[in-house]
Amino acid sequence: MKKKIGVYVCHCGGNISDYVDVEKVREEIEKDEGVFLAKTTMFACADSNQKDMVTDIAEKQLDGAVVASCSPKLHLLTFSAVAERAGLNKYNYIHANIREQASWAHSDDKVGATEKAIQIVKAAVAKVKRSNALEPIRVEATNAVAVVGAGVAGLRSAIELAESGSQVYLIEREFFVGGRVAQWDDLFVSNETGKELITRLYDKAMNHKNITLFTGAEIVENSGSVGNISLKVKVSPRHMKLNCDEGNLEKAIEVCPVEVPDKFNFNITTRKAIYHNFPGEYPQLPVIDMEHCTRCGECEKVCKNVDFSQQEEFLNIKVGSVLLATGYDPYEPKNDEFGYKTIDNVVTLPQFKRLVHYCDDKLVYKGKEVKNIAYIYCVGSRQVDGENKYCSRYCCTATIHAAITAKKKYKEIYNFHFNRGIRTYGKQEVLYDESSRMGDIYLQSFEDHPPVVSKVGDKTMVTIKDILTADKTLEVEADLVVLVTGMVPRQDNSIGSLLKVPKGRDNFFNEIHMKLRPVETVIDGVTIAGASQGPKNIMESMNSSLAAATKSFSLIAAGELALSPTIAKIDADNCEWCGKCDDACPFSALTKTDVNGKQVAVVNEAVCKGCGMCMPVCPSNAIELIGYTDDQIESMIDALVSTH
Amino acid sequence: MSEKKILEYDVLVVGGGISGGEAALNLANLDYKVLVVEKDLSLGGKMIALSKVFPTLDCAACITTPKVSEISRHPNITIMFSAEAKKIDKLGEHNFEAHVHQKPRYVNIDDCTACQLCEKACPVSVIDEYQQGLIGRKAAFIPFSIASPRAAAIDITNCTLCGACERACPTGCIDFTQTDLDYVVKAKAVVVATGFKLFDPLKIPRYGYGKYKNVITSMQMERQLAPTRPFNTILRPGDGKMPDNIAYVLCTGSRDKSVGNPICSQVCCMYSIKQGQLLMGSLPMADVTIYYLHIRAFGKGFNEFYEQSKEMGVEFIKGKIGNIKEKENGNLILRYEDIEEGKVKEAEHDMVVLSVGVMSNSEISDSFQGESLVLDDYGFIHQNDILASPSETNIDGVFVAGTATGPMDIPDSILSAGAASAETTSYLRRAVL
Ligand SMILES: Cc1cc2nc3c(=O)[nH]c(=O)nc-3n(C[C@H](O)[C@H](O)[C@H](O)COP(=O)(O)OP(=O)(O)OC[C@H]3O[C@@H](n4cnc5c(N)ncnc54)[C@H](O)[C@@H]3O)c2cc1C
Ligand SMILES: Cc1cc2nc3c(=O)[nH]c(=O)nc-3n(C[C@H](O)[C@H](O)[C@H](O)COP(=O)(O)OP(=O)(O)OC[C@H]3O[C@@H](n4cnc5c(N)ncnc54)[C@H](O)[C@@H]3O)c2cc1C
Ligand code: SF4
Ligand code: SF4
Ligand code: SF4
Ligand code: SF4
Repeated sequence: MKKKIGVYVCHCGGNISDYVDVEKVREEIEKDEGVFLAKTTMFACADSNQKDMVTDIAEKQLDGAVVASCSPKLHLLTFSAVAERAGLNKYNYIHANIREQASWAHSDDKVGATEKAIQIVKAAVAKVKRSNALEPIRVEATNAVAVVGAGVAGLRSAIELAESGSQVYLIEREFFVGGRVAQWDDLFVSNETGKELITRLYDKAMNHKNITLFTGAEIVENSGSVGNISLKVKVSPRHMKLNCDEGNLEKAIEVCPVEVPDKFNFNITTRKAIYHNFPGEYPQLPVIDMEHCTRCGECEKVCKNVDFSQQEEFLNIKVGSVLLATGYDPYEPKNDEFGYKTIDNVVTLPQFKRLVHYCDDKLVYKGKEVKNIAYIYCVGSRQVDGENKYCSRYCCTATIHAAITAKKKYKEIYNFHFNRGIRTYGKQEVLYDESSRMGDIYLQSFEDHPPVVSKVGDKTMVTIKDILTADKTLEVEADLVVLVTGMVPRQDNSIGSLLKVPKGRDNFFNEIHMKLRPVETVIDGVTIAGASQGPKNIMESMNSSLAAATKSFSLIAAGELALSPTIAKIDADNCEWCGKCDDACPFSALTKTDVNGKQVAVVNEAVCKGCGMCMPVCPSNAIELIGYTDDQIESMIDALVSTH
Repeated sequence: MSEKKILEYDVLVVGGGISGGEAALNLANLDYKVLVVEKDLSLGGKMIALSKVFPTLDCAACITTPKVSEISRHPNITIMFSAEAKKIDKLGEHNFEAHVHQKPRYVNIDDCTACQLCEKACPVSVIDEYQQGLIGRKAAFIPFSIASPRAAAIDITNCTLCGACERACPTGCIDFTQTDLDYVVKAKAVVVATGFKLFDPLKIPRYGYGKYKNVITSMQMERQLAPTRPFNTILRPGDGKMPDNIAYVLCTGSRDKSVGNPICSQVCCMYSIKQGQLLMGSLPMADVTIYYLHIRAFGKGFNEFYEQSKEMGVEFIKGKIGNIKEKENGNLILRYEDIEEGKVKEAEHDMVVLSVGVMSNSEISDSFQGESLVLDDYGFIHQNDILASPSETNIDGVFVAGTATGPMDIPDSILSAGAASAETTSYLRRAVL
């Protein structure tokens, strides 16, 4: 057992010391046998204190160290690194959390908080006394990354990873790349169209030898862990041969008798079962939508490239990291939410964008020319009653930009913006200014008094109590009502569940720490990019996709990974292979193996996460968790229940 | 003239705030050798001086200091403090030459133990810029308690050369013979992360900043709320009284063509809301009123944070401030247009915080020789391909990170720094291929 332990009790600049008497904690701990020195510090994490610790450990030859401070989520790694720099094995460092667990939890009871802090630190000391030096498990890392989703974020990170030297599998569920941005014409903050931007990215990606693109593809199975992840990818067939002939194709589309709502245009138009979204789309090859195809064979008659014999394929790939860039869905308003689906001239912003694309010199919807447009903001965002409490961030700017574009395209229209306080943050503010100068009208209400859309005779009226004109009730007759729908997480989150990526309060994928680790998830090796992490515009999606590419790449760049040695260990003498541990393990880390003629459980070191699920189910107590041995845990419990 | 030392690195990072630091760290982790040139005496930029940060209310010191110490001890990173890149020349692809000028600190960092004896000995008191002028400091001083490096410096402009500090220093690390140093730095790529400046509220005289003592800036309030704050509570500078009715004036110097800044500063709504929440915590009896035009609570968790502050009792008035006048007791009268009621009104508060905006800090563009570094309409560094490669500038091989591109919060700065390091990596790899 260790005899020269150093303990550092942190004030956390008041976060702890406002409620916990840190000096008392220090005094009590100092009495513990085995504690060689105990100090308090204003900020344990500050450079000066880290230096102090290094000096103490090295000069005084400490054999164990404890820092009593904030959550290990924040600083376990910081102080393990301090130990290592001083030449102390990092598993001889134990973290005690007296901020979240004592001071913050008991800010109403200073005495109690102090008592609890003392016990928490004592438990840490008890553990460190019994801890051993451990070495990381080294595994080879595959220099390949699976990028899931080929929207702007996925395309951009794929290019970045390829340029850095990784193999990239770009896996897109749809049959065409570009994600949502392919659906927008003019984009804000540049004079490019969505199609142009996607073309640029697609060309760059396709010209890179390191990138393999799969469309109509989805990950269906996943095993292994960071550095060595095996994925099974299901690739659905397009039912078209590779070299397609334009003329015959047009004929094939013409003869197809099936007509379904066109998802690409958010159902404001229809398409055939054999289709491409627009000419010049990538890959430039149509597809047959088998969900709706009746197998009538009409297309086959006019186009010899149709191939109904193509089969679903399954591919197994091996990667070191997975980058998720699966994007978002536009919010789908409920029936009758602001007249959606009940009043005939109510559309969503995405539908409006497609409508403007199709109308050349006059804006016409359902056969009627549109003059007055009412935009209703924050639909599906900032909800008072619904679950979506967040602001969707992109939509104020996107709406104002769309309104300006429409006004420039069709001179004779009038834009009325029914908003809840415009959020054109940063440089986007100049668009708001431009639109006001162009004569657009802004009317504002608060969250709890949204405008009302109603049908009066054959007219559609939008009514608001406008706070910009001293709460006057104002009414606008609208030829078209545009619901500014927010961003919501992808409805189909199967990939998130498969990889066990946690979701945040807003149901988007959640990062580890918004500021310190914004693109990493708690699943080692899985990074998140673009709007899959939360609403973002294109520039923001790009920044996050490039940051995620950097993180994925740096995980595997060295060709080797050091994994934590705190994993399960089986005592083969005691193990009688009953298979209970195998059932309990959420990571499939255990396999039945023949060891010297006996069937026992063996732990796959690269896969085991050290979660401990297997330990309690083992009837012969043959499993121990390295770094959390029974001896250590029992000693901690003793310390926690002891009174001093 | 001292002889110029020639140094070689893969990447020169200009600016050691959170953005420059994050970019440097990413690159260093990929085994590139990085030089960070920082004008100031410490790493961490504005972030290290903040109180807690929205929307998670993490203590800024707690999340900045470990990052900063990781940067400062990374074997692939060299940091030069009190240094500026005076001339940056692109001689060819992957071939930059910078002339870096370093001012003397007059303290040998490695030997200084930050014992503060020099501070005690020094007879000269001046305004402490790190505490935003709220208190004083000595001419021999440690910039602030969590500075990195935590080492003394001599403010030579104010030093009387009395020698008291030199005599007091137990380790003998004060060295008045240090002189300016000039280096020639060769690097294959450059990352510009020079951050932002705060709007100077003296430019709006009708708000009375500089004239009325109880009108302060948000950065001054940030210091009052920080754990390493100058006083142990919140005080009005005028008379040291604890305020109990505090007003925030949003958009000070932003969205205001009359001061030449039409854009929104993106962070001031949120930091004001944050300060409002923190004030409610430290002064439970105080009222906080935020005068705003629009609330830009757009990021992840921001709108929820805004709603939470309303529930906590922070009052929001949609109103435009006309002017501020001082009463005899130091209280302030705000004349404003209440937009909701369409009336001009007056309100009395005992302290006013101006939520000053984020302005460009791009003098660095003048250092570029030959091809100049292009700025945008607002003086921020122009993003050459904003939608596809947001950190690209007009010069191939020069990338930009963080608030040097425009106003943004810390999460966005970190992502932007990630993008800059990614694009720098691609550029560096092209040199090898
Ligand atoms: C109406 C509207 C207008 C807009 N206008 C602008 C604008 O002008 N300027 C601007 O900057 N931003 C604009 N935006 C925002 C912009 O659309 C987003 O920033 C951008 O689409 C985010 O890109 P992404 O790659 O993260 O997600 P997406 O574009 O959603 O792409 C995600 C991709 O992943 C694929 N995918 C999803 N799940 C899976 C899976 N399980 N397996 C494989 N693939 C999968 C999807 O098929 C898709 O191709 C607008 C948004 C809307 C709604
Ligand atoms: C009052 C206030 C409160 C805030 N609160 C929050 C908050 O709660 N949450 C949040 O997310 N964000 C907050 N922010 C925003 C946050 O401060 C910025 O997002 C962040 O500091 C940006 O970091 P940066 O590195 O880009 O810039 P900076 O912090 O400005 O760093 C730039 C660095 O470059 C150095 N430098 C400048 N020019 C040169 C040169 N020529 N040569 C060498 N070095 C140079 C500077 O000395 C500095 O160290 C707040 C901002 C303010 C003003
Ligand atoms: S960006 Fe604007 S429209 Fe969108 S949710 Fe936020 S406030 Fe509402
Ligand atoms: S500790 Fe046991 S249950 Fe957990 S991952 Fe390892 S083997 Fe599986
Ligand atoms: S310069 Fe000398 S006296 Fe001043 S803090 Fe450093 S060691 Fe102490
Ligand atoms: S963030 Fe808020 S306070 Fe700052 S300029 Fe924009 S609207 Fe004004």
